[in-house]
Amino acid sequence: MFRFLESDKTWVKYATIVAGLIFGGIAWEIFGLNSNPAFMAPLIGNVDHPGAAPRLIANFSDEEFVESLIGSAQLFSTGFAIALITAIPFGILLARAPRLRVALETYVLMLYVTPMVALIPFVLAIMGFDFWPKVVVVSLFAFFPILYNTLEGARSVKPELLEVAKSFRTGEVAVWTDILVPYTLPYALTGVRQALGRALVGMIAAEFFLSTSGLGKEIMISSRTFDMAGVLATITLITILGVTLMRLAQALEQHFAAWRGLNR
Amino acid sequence: MSARSISKILRGGLRDKIIAGIVILVAWQVGVQTFAAKFVAKPLNIIDVFPTVISDPDFLAAAAATLLAVVQGLFIALILGTVVGVAMGRVKAIDRLLNGYVNGFYTLPMVAALPLLTIWFGYEENARLATVIFAGFFSIAMNARDGASAVPPEYLEVCKAYRAKARYVWFDITVFSSLPYLIAGFRLAAGRALVGAVIAEFFVSLDGLGMYILSHTRSFQHNEAVVGVLALVAFGLLFEQSMTWAMKHYFPWYRREGGGS
Repeated sequence: MFRFLESDKTWVKYATIVAGLIFGGIAWEIFGLNSNPAFMAPLIGNVDHPGAAPRLIANFSDEEFVESLIGSAQLFSTGFAIALITAIPFGILLARAPRLRVALETYVLMLYVTPMVALIPFVLAIMGFDFWPKVVVVSLFAFFPILYNTLEGARSVKPELLEVAKSFRTGEVAVWTDILVPYTLPYALTGVRQALGRALVGMIAAEFFLSTSGLGKEIMISSRTFDMAGVLATITLITILGVTLMRLAQALEQHFAAWRGLNR
Repeated sequence: MSARSISKILRGGLRDKIIAGIVILVAWQVGVQTFAAKFVAKPLNIIDVFPTVISDPDFLAAAAATLLAVVQGLFIALILGTVVGVAMGRVKAIDRLLNGYVNGFYTLPMVAALPLLTIWFGYEENARLATVIFAGFFSIAMNARDGASAVPPEYLEVCKAYRAKARYVWFDITVFSSLPYLIAGFRLAAGRALVGAVIAEFFVSLDGLGMYILSHTRSFQHNEAVVGVLALVAFGLLFEQSMTWAMKHYFPWYRREGGGS
């Protein structure tokens, strides 16, 4: 009876996806309408139960909210950019110097598995409540996934290639552009994708636990006043932003993934 | 390569590692002593307080509480995630219905959902457990799905040819052939679960390693707090190493994939 659901026809595929979204929306709506507004808000809602979707749209004409959004974007991009421009060159440098790489690998792994949230109280105590401590938190979250994965790439650089380059007296620039970068970049991009997710966590955590600002502040204020529509609207916005960033990173990663095939 | 030269390489690497470690520690000690405030943690002071902290019953209780919550949550997330993920990988309709949600929730930073979880589950241990499950479930489900849809078609054809019952196809073929993916997902989930537990403790003020670190940094006992961080690192490494070991021991024919999904 349900055999047609298994077919790969385009319309069946999209119909099921849309049906999934509609089912989810209806379930959310029914659950929201039938529970206490301080506990759960519906998707669309009515006067007694304000909904999340109208709230999300209304937020964009709310000056304060837009300011928060911009603040969060600034924090995220500054922190992520710092992690990016420090971690990737450092990772490639370690590919150039295998001995240094072996020496540092263990410590990088240790820091990679350290839950960075645990360091937030230290950042708070040492650096205080400014904008920059929050940037440090975001960078910390993003730095080690990028470095760890770039190192993984560095390990895949064949020593023979470096030896051949050396015996032909290849210039340092050519070694970097022709051997080191092509080998490590696909791995670095895997790290970038992981780091995006982690940096997003870092951003919200910094905005919660250091001086409250940005989207974190919006969630905080809404949840303290039991304004569930506000909480869900902001969470939905963050999810949409996260999924978009992730898709972009995935596309970039896929684009360079072919380079990885060389060493398998 | 002869056994002797391998051990030589290992020893050479080990020496470099130890030298690098000493350089890092000395730089930390000297740097903090000259530039930072007095309360900032220094390696020598950490070594100094290490035995007292390790034998402190409060610390042990905190570590046990966090570890227990993480293990409990991961166990629940593993079972639920495998069931949902395998169903998604095997039945296309379920995959199409749920994939958007699983991907979305996977990307959603669990910190952002924390205020919501505390309102739903109260300011108590349930909120931490819920955060851990929430943190672990989606990465396991995603990987289980990838694994279940990557079952070699030959196996399924043999099942069909011998008219195997659906439960054999699901549990004996699909789950087993997607085990490497499950382990990759579990490894990812373990890291996220640890983070989730710590954040939940910060937010809800539950007794645990997160709270131990927070309260000691607030009272400027940073050396003690660093021991708490080290315990978390040890847990992280423990999960990571046990997964690597499991992979090597049970699936030596699988190459290690960089970082998981």
